[in-house]
Amino acid sequence: MKENRRERIVENVCIAVITLVTATVLVILSGASPLEACQMFFRGIFGNLNGFGEVFVKATPLILTGLGCSVAFRTGFFNIGAEGQFYMGALTSTWVVLNLTGVPGPLRIVLAILTGFVTGGLWALIAAMMKARFDISEIIVTIMLNYIGINLLGIAVRTFLMDPAGSIPQSAKLDASATLVRFLKPTRIHTGIFLALAAVVFIWFLMEKTTVGYEIRAVGFNQRGAACNGISVVKNIILSAALSGGLAGVAGAVEVLGVQRKLLEGISGGCGYTAILISLLAVNRPFGVLVTAILFAALSVGANSMQRQMGIPAAIVDFLIGMIVLLILGRELFWRRAARKEGK
Amino acid sequence: MLEQIFTMTFMTAFLAAAVRMAVPLAYAGMGELIAEKSGILNIGMEGVMLAGAFFSFAGAFFTGSILLGLVCGVVGGVAVSMIHAVLSIRLARDQSVSGISLNIFALGVTSFLYKLMSSGDSYKQIEPLSRLRIPALADIPLVGSALFEQDIMTYVLYFLVVGIAWFYAKTSMGLSFAAIGENPRAADAAGIPVHRYQYVAMVLNGVLGGIGGAYLVLVQVGNFTENMTSGRGYIALAAVILGRYMPGGILAASFLFGAANALQIRLQAVGVPLPPQALAMLPYVITLVALLTSIGKNQKPEALSRPYVRGAR
Amino acid sequence: MPLLEMKQITKAFSGVYANENVDLSVEAGEIHALLGENGAGKTTLMNILFGIYQADRGEIYYQGKKVEFLSPRDAIDQGIGMVHQHFSLVRKMTVLDNIILGLESRASVLDRKSAAARIRELADKYGLSVNPESRVSELSVGEQQRVEILKVLYRNVNLLILDEPTGVLTPQETEKFFDILRKLKAEGHGIIIITHRLAEIMAISDRVTILRDGKAVSRLVTAGTTPEELSAHMIGRELKKDTSQREGFQPEEMLSLKDVSLSKKRRKKKSLSHVSLGVHKGEILGIAGVEGNGQKELAEVITGIRKNYKGTMTWRGENLAGISVKERFRKGISYISDDRHNDSLIMDMTVTDNIILRDFDCSPYSRWGVLDHKKAEERAGKALENFKIKTSGTSGIRTLVKLMSGGNQQKVILAREITDQAGLIVASQPTRGLDIGATEFVHQELLKQKSQGKSVVLISADLDELLSLSDRIAVMFAGKIVGILDRAEADVFKIGLLMGGVTGEEAAVAERKEAAEPEAARPENARASAEKQETVGPDGCRNQPAAAGGQSRKGGDVA
Repeated sequence: MKENRRERIVENVCIAVITLVTATVLVILSGASPLEACQMFFRGIFGNLNGFGEVFVKATPLILTGLGCSVAFRTGFFNIGAEGQFYMGALTSTWVVLNLTGVPGPLRIVLAILTGFVTGGLWALIAAMMKARFDISEIIVTIMLNYIGINLLGIAVRTFLMDPAGSIPQSAKLDASATLVRFLKPTRIHTGIFLALAAVVFIWFLMEKTTVGYEIRAVGFNQRGAACNGISVVKNIILSAALSGGLAGVAGAVEVLGVQRKLLEGISGGCGYTAILISLLAVNRPFGVLVTAILFAALSVGANSMQRQMGIPAAIVDFLIGMIVLLILGRELFWRRAARKEGK
Repeated sequence: MLEQIFTMTFMTAFLAAAVRMAVPLAYAGMGELIAEKSGILNIGMEGVMLAGAFFSFAGAFFTGSILLGLVCGVVGGVAVSMIHAVLSIRLARDQSVSGISLNIFALGVTSFLYKLMSSGDSYKQIEPLSRLRIPALADIPLVGSALFEQDIMTYVLYFLVVGIAWFYAKTSMGLSFAAIGENPRAADAAGIPVHRYQYVAMVLNGVLGGIGGAYLVLVQVGNFTENMTSGRGYIALAAVILGRYMPGGILAASFLFGAANALQIRLQAVGVPLPPQALAMLPYVITLVALLTSIGKNQKPEALSRPYVRGAR
Repeated sequence: MPLLEMKQITKAFSGVYANENVDLSVEAGEIHALLGENGAGKTTLMNILFGIYQADRGEIYYQGKKVEFLSPRDAIDQGIGMVHQHFSLVRKMTVLDNIILGLESRASVLDRKSAAARIRELADKYGLSVNPESRVSELSVGEQQRVEILKVLYRNVNLLILDEPTGVLTPQETEKFFDILRKLKAEGHGIIIITHRLAEIMAISDRVTILRDGKAVSRLVTAGTTPEELSAHMIGRELKKDTSQREGFQPEEMLSLKDVSLSKKRRKKKSLSHVSLGVHKGEILGIAGVEGNGQKELAEVITGIRKNYKGTMTWRGENLAGISVKERFRKGISYISDDRHNDSLIMDMTVTDNIILRDFDCSPYSRWGVLDHKKAEERAGKALENFKIKTSGTSGIRTLVKLMSGGNQQKVILAREITDQAGLIVASQPTRGLDIGATEFVHQELLKQKSQGKSVVLISADLDELLSLSDRIAVMFAGKIVGILDRAEADVFKIGLLMGGVTGEEAAVAERKEAAEPEAARPENARASAEKQETVGPDGCRNQPAAAGGQSRKGGDVA
């Protein structure tokens, strides 16, 4: 046991060193000075209240989508469709806010978020049904649904949701009464962050303390065993998929209602894919998702600052994060005796 | 309206475009077939293709040679698939997790490097590969130009498909490469070096996936854009399922998806009064529908995506 | 000069010796038996010989030369062939392709025609009839074994290793199989046969090497020994003979199957065909048969895992049609599966979680959907005590089940399934892979349940186990019950004939007798169904007085 722990520490140090070295090389390749870049990175995050606030603004959808992925991964349903579910949630919640003008603001917000949850859930449900009924790979289906969702949003902002007053493909601005309050001006932090935090606690409680979570975990570990003991595999896969999609849909709704306050293309900023990595790194633990999501958001805020100030492409973050995940998957390679697992 | 669209000229052009759209999918599909037959599911095909696309572009741009560009694309593709190979063969990792992570990683790497390449300067473009008309055959009405007025990579594909089919059906090594995906323990007991063959299969997976990605750049458009594969790697996975794990079937499935893509491009060109997104959705919708038709007939190799550890049961 | 000599072979897995200084020597034209209990190290030794594992220490001499096999390929190249206990055949491929698989490593074009001719020739010579063109997935187990042997012979081997080859055969098939071995021996092949069946060793082998706890404890010439001596060497201690009395059998029929059939997926063939059975109160009904003749399906139909059966099945007089696995458990039907890793346990969960797997959503473990871990741990703690479950390490009931030994895993299942409310225990191969101590424990537990008036359906491939525990033994063949024998009249010979699908006169008599019995039992059904009210709580859950009774609740839910 003790030796294991030491190995883990060495592995983590290795990963950190490799990441730092790669980051330095990439910064130099971009024609910038690493020290300065580092400075810019941290100034972007901690330099002023706005930047710091931006971390939590960006973290909010990441927490929700990351939680979503983690719930699905728990039953072995590899939902990589958070992106599409996010888009569908954003689309339908915008429709609710723009069309149900007779409903008072706060109620409309609740309705919009609920709608986001339901449509995101339904979007994931398509893949879940195809997997449960016909054993079709959920990975391919959710990816296809991502592209379909993105295009549906594209159609919406050019047709029935297009701002009648404008000529660019985006919706009209939502009226202020039906948006999430920014309570810490001048930052853009909005009340959606509380929703995200509540979701973390809720999912933790659900997974660890309730019979629903117990079933989901059992199915995730051993489908056949669960079925032989009277736990429905299909029911739990569908449930976890719907919950997962629902959370991504809520993320979409919250992003529209809290940050953009209108519907536009590219609104997710790829957070549906980042969510997969967040969930993997957090080994599907809700509080792990919370911390990782905030970390990722900070990385992206810092990288944006580097891009603005020094022209280092912000994609450096995706590069490094992808690399870290792969290094963690391959961590045993740091040891010479790697992977000679001996069966009996 | 319909008569205007479905003229002979339209159909001829449409079929030619369909073939061109199908070629990268078919290359990637063949690569994925070889991997899956050996028991390795490479969800990372999207990343392999994307790396193939970017590195072929960079190679062709800096050397000015399309051939060297292709070589670079292949090297890029193999590099990505080898990461997957090490993680899933040597370390017995979950192949879906590894594949997805790889796709996101490849997206980050290519986006970053492309931004570096294109910073400051204006739009970058290379001269795409020219077509090679095969006399006589290309004059066959309707399908002639679609099949025989294409680039050399398309012709290579024809031979490749036949060659792979022959390899699995008629050669002893083909039998071995198929057996390791069905029952690696049996293959091992028969003296087949399971892991070594899986590595070989993964190299081929990278080569063919890399060519598929390179084709997008070197033949179709002549430039690179971020995430330019936009799901083609996944569609190639669907083509393998739909093609029932047979080279000819995969070719046909690729053609179906290629046709969906060509149709939306042609319809946009004709000026159908629909938002372009409604048409752009088409290939993805067709893929879903096609997957639904493939149900029931499960030809999946039995040990697909189950890591083989000798001695373990 | 011996054909094969293994000297001082030592192999350890994570610090535990599977083989320790083992010597083995085999002559050409000899059938050499390797005898030992489960886990004695027989298979490990053979895997080392075949290049699947490499020995930590020791040397192998083959045909006088020192050899080192790094993979099966090396062993095959030298003329060593192995037929594994679990066949290594590619189901989707033809017999022919399976046989020629891996023979040429170059991309040479296959010559299937001449290969087929050679296979037919070999098949004729040794009496191994199979059609080279059929797909392996369509073959019976016996045929598959013939393919395995053909595969080895096709490679011109001199030394043949057979790992538990008769485990899946009927006594009659076994006899035929031995004829093949004798022919091979006459041709000058060396044969190593791994087994733990004493009678077979006496019948076929020339010499025996006996392994115990990873060491070679003795080498004997078969002609000069007796089964008793072999057994003594193998076990190394006196076996406690089963002396318990056969009491508790009551005429009341609890479970009844009438004409139950089950179709295979997408095929017309039936995996269960018109099965009619009655299980009585306080009875252990043994189910014998060669594996794969419908026993597993029978267990899964009774427990509700397989749903689309035809015919009627009643439990305590109540029709079970449409009743789920969970409800059946609550009505008293428990299941101990032969595949505990996949069917019965969630290996990545703790002992506690596995103990409550059946009733986690019942009081007292769940209140309004919230789990009460404390109550669950109380029950798990009791189970540890009552069933003497040893968890490796210090985590106790929080140990992950996958870290425990097979015997202790099985006890976790027993603790969960054998509750006070259980009325019927379907136990499939309940002692497979267990050591003697654990086996004894399981046997005693089943007998205890019987004496308490519960019913047991015991499916086993071990005829000795069936004969010593069962009141009656039903024999299955090709999805049918081909005969039901009373304990008094059953013997290995009769069962063996039935297992091979031979329904002789005696078997027919037994069947007629059985058919008459349910009639007598029928009036009792009314009483049985009234009784069920007592054991099922108002919420439909099995009550757990052990955990619910008298324990304080002040801790709340502790993780």
